[in-house]
Amino acid sequence: MENLKTEICGIKFKNPVIAASGTFGYGLEFTNRIDISMLGGISVKGISLNEEKGNPMPRIMETHAGMLNAIGLQNIGVNKFLDEKLPELKKYDTNIIANFWGKTVEEYTEVAKILDCSDVDMLEMNISCPNIKEGGIAFGTNPEMTFEVVNKVKKSISNKPLIVKLSPNVSNIKIFGKTAESAGADAISAINTLLGMSININTRRPHLSNVTGGLSGPAIKPVAVRMVYELYQAVDIPIIGIGGIMNYKDVAEFFIAGASAVQVGTANFVNPEIISTIIDDLTTYCKANEIGNFTELKGTLRT
Amino acid sequence: MKGIVLENKILNDKYGIICIKSDEFAQNAAPGQFLMIRPQPYDYIYDPLLRRPLGICDINEKKGTFSLLYMIVGKGTKLLSKIKKKTELSFSEPLGTGFNLTTDKKVAIIGGGVGIAPMTFLSKILHENNEVDVFYGGAEEKDILLTHIFEEYSNNLIIATEDGSIGHKGFITEVFENSLKFNNYDKIFACGPKPMLKAVYDIIDIEKIEFEVSLEERMACGIGACLGCIISTIGTDPNSNSQKRCCVEGPVFNGKEIIWETVCKE
Repeated sequence: MENLKTEICGIKFKNPVIAASGTFGYGLEFTNRIDISMLGGISVKGISLNEEKGNPMPRIMETHAGMLNAIGLQNIGVNKFLDEKLPELKKYDTNIIANFWGKTVEEYTEVAKILDCSDVDMLEMNISCPNIKEGGIAFGTNPEMTFEVVNKVKKSISNKPLIVKLSPNVSNIKIFGKTAESAGADAISAINTLLGMSININTRRPHLSNVTGGLSGPAIKPVAVRMVYELYQAVDIPIIGIGGIMNYKDVAEFFIAGASAVQVGTANFVNPEIISTIIDDLTTYCKANEIGNFTELKGTLRT
Repeated sequence: MKGIVLENKILNDKYGIICIKSDEFAQNAAPGQFLMIRPQPYDYIYDPLLRRPLGICDINEKKGTFSLLYMIVGKGTKLLSKIKKKTELSFSEPLGTGFNLTTDKKVAIIGGGVGIAPMTFLSKILHENNEVDVFYGGAEEKDILLTHIFEEYSNNLIIATEDGSIGHKGFITEVFENSLKFNNYDKIFACGPKPMLKAVYDIIDIEKIEFEVSLEERMACGIGACLGCIISTIGTDPNSNSQKRCCVEGPVFNGKEIIWETVCKE
């Protein structure tokens, strides 16, 4: 496992593979399937100040090599998370990344403050959820708003590194990467889901109650790799690559494009044990290719 | 888990039944549980992406096999219908919360369409020590399957089809309502389209008869992580509904707790 060790924003990771927010519950749903202590980290389901009910059903629809979701950030709220879930999660030896969001700038800063004083290892602010009416993507698709919310959150915390999760639903992601960096982000994670839609031609109704939803899965991987590549040229802070990772080869692709770590998302639905397979395969890959440390691959794209 | 396909029988152009060998699965399954299954054998093929949730139709613990009844509706089930004998498929362990079994009771099992799948397993178990009437409804004759099993494992098998091609003509719920004049059931178990389940709920005296339903929802993971399969139920807080995951707290619910208006609308 030595050849997978890495460090992001001063936080030590046993490997660069993190379970992505919204696809791994609060981590505890997976403990009877895999040893979650073998993961580099877990980004938990997006936390808000108050409990959130999410969108009406139907919330998901499968598409070609992917899926649409409009869960709407259903979660138990920050206090319940800290009281009920975090103490259980801390029993495992993995980094806990608290993914959080708000409907207003004030809500973002308030949740961030609470989490900053908790036992989590890093914060990841979601300014890119496409499925809620207030907050989320509205912050992530307007550079001024991105700056304001990231800057205010950064100023309200003092303990934990801040990751900003970017939306791919913009014309130039470099602008948003640079904006987040200049507003004080310690790292960037990219990408969130791509806004999509699917229609039942018999009823002529959308398959999701929210009409649109976020597209994820292997179908979006080329878009995600391209955006990580663009961000790597634009920012100096670490990039956590996300988007359609299904196996160790996909992880390598993101690293070569410029990622310092990755998050595995939809694949956890397809096979709840997949993330442990990916980590094992990365170790084998390093040994077979005489790679001392996997991070050597970072940004090594030959063009 | 993995298992070898022993048989994959196409019953008609709408349905198939697949039998898979796995001792571990067969030993651990309970009536009303389901599994998530990859409808093709290659783990490097990503389309269709998600595993399919299917109710466990039958178990043979001695032989270490289980069967799944599936309706051929989309990409996944079409692929499943083409799976050949001896293929190795991967699937989850038995998932979800199954039916609460009874003993020495008079029970009715109501199944509609492919919703009959988990009722086969259930009636086999219940028939050992209960009086079991099975009400089985479908749109047409093609929807009425596995009747030989119900004939063996029930006291009465009553069939209805909407077009009258087999059994009574009309909805099975109408036949069931009629039968309530002559029968006092202690408990009803039902699985099928939501409007059918709601109709049963409306017919019975919910304060006097136990009512368990198995619900079907689209789901991505089957293990409680995706929150794609939420069912609205009456919560402890009278001002706010409770949200249960069909895959973990369900698929079997107490019919009394379901907020039928919301669940049927969705």
